Amino acid sequence: MNIESLKLKKISALWIIVILVLFIASIVLGILMRLNQGKVIEQSPLTFYTNMTTHGLTMIGIWFAAGMVAVNYLLQRYVKTSYGVNLFAFILTVIGVVMLWITTYAGKFSTGWTFLYPLPFRDLGSESWSTPLFLISLTVLGVGWLVWSVSLMAQILKKYTLSQAFAWQHFKSNASVETPPFILITTVTLIGVIASLIAAVIVIILYFAEYFSHGDFVNDALLMKNLIYFFGHTIANEMLYLGLAVIYEIFGEVSDRPKWKMTWYISLAWNCAMIFILTAFFHHLYMDFVQPQALQIVGQLASYLASIPSAAVTVFSIVAAVYGVKVRWSIVNLLFFLGVAGWVIGGLGAVIDATISNNIMLHNTLWVPAHFHTYNAMGNVLFSLGFFYWFSTQYVDKLVLSKLTKYTLALLIIGGIGFLMAFYVAGANSIPRRYSTYPVELTSGPYLAKVGALFASIYLIAILIFFYNIAKRCFVILSASSR
Amino acid sequence: MQQNSIMLFFMLLVGIGTIFFVSIFMSSLNADKDSTGVKNLLKKRFWFTLILIVVLGIFAAATLPKSPYFTFANETPSTVIHVGTMQFSFFLSTKPIDPKSPSGETIEIPHDQLVEFRVTSFDVNHGFAVYDPSMRLITQVQAMPGYVNNLRYKFTEPGKYHIFCLEFCGTGHPVMQATFKVI
Ligand code: HEM
Ligand SMILES: [Cu+2]
Repeated sequence: MNIESLKLKKISALWIIVILVLFIASIVLGILMRLNQGKVIEQSPLTFYTNMTTHGLTMIGIWFAAGMVAVNYLLQRYVKTSYGVNLFAFILTVIGVVMLWITTYAGKFSTGWTFLYPLPFRDLGSESWSTPLFLISLTVLGVGWLVWSVSLMAQILKKYTLSQAFAWQHFKSNASVETPPFILITTVTLIGVIASLIAAVIVIILYFAEYFSHGDFVNDALLMKNLIYFFGHTIANEMLYLGLAVIYEIFGEVSDRPKWKMTWYISLAWNCAMIFILTAFFHHLYMDFVQPQALQIVGQLASYLASIPSAAVTVFSIVAAVYGVKVRWSIVNLLFFLGVAGWVIGGLGAVIDATISNNIMLHNTLWVPAHFHTYNAMGNVLFSLGFFYWFSTQYVDKLVLSKLTKYTLALLIIGGIGFLMAFYVAGANSIPRRYSTYPVELTSGPYLAKVGALFASIYLIAILIFFYNIAKRCFVILSASSR
Repeated sequence: MQQNSIMLFFMLLVGIGTIFFVSIFMSSLNADKDSTGVKNLLKKRFWFTLILIVVLGIFAAATLPKSPYFTFANETPSTVIHVGTMQFSFFLSTKPIDPKSPSGETIEIPHDQLVEFRVTSFDVNHGFAVYDPSMRLITQVQAMPGYVNNLRYKFTEPGKYHIFCLEFCGTGHPVMQATFKVI
């Protein structure tokens, strides 16, 4: 095996182990939150909100990174990627995450993962140094990820022209160069990622400008909210698309089915998706009536439109690949298939909430964590776990479905559904999100929180078993020598 | 109860989705070795997409006009309530509120008349969410520093209404609340 590919394997294995360890720690924080809301344990509000902030930031960070790791690894099939940049991103991610945990746990920084302006400047109970350290840790992560995304993009553009990377030549009847779907999706996604990270950089600069001006410069709250949600919404959505790129690339080969070829409609769908996803974030500001009304309407239309290419192309293709044909089912494609189902169901919850006349009843209730946990915990996480399995079992020639694997999947599904249902029902019962404990009048809140904690623990058991299986093989890869 | 219909509708969609994905999966388990799957894919894809676009179009056309920005927009409110928010309290008053020394008063709103809440914040972002006597969220708006959001509503049922903060504003967020009466 050549040195280059072994190095990439090792760094990917290292990423996977770190991601899974942080995942388990963050799930524990999630369960602690639900237990506190259920009055099973009693933590101070400050502790709850540091846990909440840490959980949200870490989860977003690791699953974004997981998507990037997978895409970087598979990109090697088409273009050369830089090992140095991958390592650089790894080091900056680790430093950034450690700094984040210091700001939240030693500095008591607790603004929620969206750090909505001007809360970081009026974050009661936190140390005064925690806000600048938080901004610095975001900068570290942002730089690491920006360099990584730009570097991957640059490698793609060395081989494909920009219009080829967007697969525009496929709109004509006889394309001379074929753009693999994986390259198109990666391109579209990286552009979204880069746009969102640039917005993050602007937000950080505006925060620092106000911080150092000692009151001379004050930001505009509406502009900051738009920028923050452009960043937050976009990165949270693009990380899902990274997962989809991986599915397009390996679903066929792990299932003994032909690989998807580029067609005009795949090209059209992803080009449209890129635009819709960059404007859908306006749905986070529906309840800000001072926002221009045209943008509110754009928010609802873009949110609706974003579902069309996903459903008509991606979901349709996966369903068509499976329907009525013998597929070699293994843990890898089962996780992919299940993840697509979770993604669709979470998407339904999202489209309902993205309807302005519903949003007024659901905005900032637990319906919001309900739907985004659906397409994360039962969607994107499964995409990445599927990739991790596939990656770690490359030395083994056959992926077999053991009894234990089947039971573990069952635990994951049962735990996941129960955990999510507790969120949805609470959301429909008008229980607010981000409440450390519920006002006595909201009687169903604590009860549903206990149900959520119970099922989340079942989900955690499944994840621990998956972790054992994946990490064990990753350690073998880490200790392998080049032969 | 809009929330109940939302939940019902969602569960219906989830049910259909689950049956769909399970049956797709079962069809693969039960397939013969040499079956080739779906025929005429492009045509099916075309119809599926068209139906999806039509359904979403109908939904958008039906729901957009119901957006809160347009409700009661052409009427004149008979009552105006000023709402100031601060970590971690609400101030409600029939007179404008002084941000330097905010104070509120007991509010009684007549039913079946249009009321306008003029909502702002004196520090961070907050939420202004109105819960009816059965503790159901009936309307809401954000409270943003530097801006005033106008929320109009016509209460039909007299009783005690609660206000909760629905935008995370710090450690006191869950205890930030107020009440008013509809008479
Ligand atoms: C079973 C695993 C998980 C559990 C038990 C869990 C639990 C929770 C809980 C209790 C909250 C606070 C809800 C509230 O507002 O009251 C929360 C928020 C959140 N979770 Fe999870 N979660 C899990 C998995 C995930 C995953 C996979 C992601 C991936 C992106 C994620 C991302 C977030 C984010 C971004 C927030 C919002 C934090 C904030 O409001 O600032 N969670 N989670
Ligand atoms: Cu609040």
